[in-house]
Amino acid sequence: MGTLAGTLTLPTFGSQVASKTRVDYQNTPEGALVRRAQAGEEAAFREIVERYQSKVFSIIHGIVRQRNDVEDIAQQVFAKVYLSLKSFDFRSSLITWIYKITVNECFDYLRKRKVRKLVYESDLSEDEVRRVENSEPATDRQIAADSSLAQRDYVLKLLTRVSEEERMLLMLKEVEGFSVEELAERTGMNENTIKVKLFRARQKLVKAAQRLDRTPGLVPG
Amino acid sequence: MHAVVMESLEEYLAGTLKPAAQREIETHLNACDACRDEIRTMQDVSQLFLSLRPEEPATPSPGFYLKLMEQVGQRQAAPSVGNIFGLGFAFGRKLIFASLLTLAVLGSYLVLRESGYAPGPSPEAVMAQQESPAFDSAPAQDNMLVTLTAYEH
Repeated sequence: MGTLAGTLTLPTFGSQVASKTRVDYQNTPEGALVRRAQAGEEAAFREIVERYQSKVFSIIHGIVRQRNDVEDIAQQVFAKVYLSLKSFDFRSSLITWIYKITVNECFDYLRKRKVRKLVYESDLSEDEVRRVENSEPATDRQIAADSSLAQRDYVLKLLTRVSEEERMLLMLKEVEGFSVEELAERTGMNENTIKVKLFRARQKLVKAAQRLDRTPGLVPG
Repeated sequence: MHAVVMESLEEYLAGTLKPAAQREIETHLNACDACRDEIRTMQDVSQLFLSLRPEEPATPSPGFYLKLMEQVGQRQAAPSVGNIFGLGFAFGRKLIFASLLTLAVLGSYLVLRESGYAPGPSPEAVMAQQESPAFDSAPAQDNMLVTLTAYEH
């Protein structure tokens, strides 16, 4: 598996794919709203926040699952949106751009949390670690939840092995359920480009999964 | 992975292929172990993404926007490295460009200056000097002995 891919050249991905006209996001009602926000109109920025805050909260909750931290991360996301809105160039839709910032912020949060956990565990004795791990008896429901959590942790681990762009495309495709055509429309990329990028990203995930499966203790639940 | 699978991979994984194309891929997968294994892993990983879908909607608290604007205000007030030195981003770029240009000019000047030195004796001239009778002559050896003695003291 994967051995042939390195020796084969990528096909054109799509004689059947009709190329669509790119959406001109600058000349949409949303484009006008963004331009007002870029000009410093706070009411326009507030409208952007109100329009997309539920979506951002859902994305964060799906990835992080720590209800207490969701709002903090959402604040970081919209603060970044506010501070870098002037650099938004309308190549993609605004929500795609916000989606990318959100996913990156979640991974940044997970990376920092992992570092904090390692520091915390290094301060505990072996007995203390064992006591923390066995503090609550597992029920059937707990086991199902643990299995779902293990799957989430596993896929998040795999997603750290791809680039930010690949991660965003995979999430939009697999979690949000967009088709290649919809992805092309939202990102401003060609459909063939999307297919090639997704293919490469999936191959990286396969390789990462093979590596993780060979490592004891990292088998998905 | 072979081209026949690669070309329709996304449609195959999403289950949106037309029956004829679906049959073509499945015929290939039945015959090709490498593609079958790779596709199976891709399907497994694809299933795992479902665990990232939120189970319930998460809604912001009523004061979310105000807290957000407070944070934005704090971030804008926090000094960045550029601000500490009173440098804007564009000015910083110009400064770096000017420094590199100055370095390049200085470097070229030094290289030209080095090549301006009078050339030393050619290798042939040095060889000829060493092979000349005067090189091994008694006065030359005496001079060397004097020099060595001077080092000892």
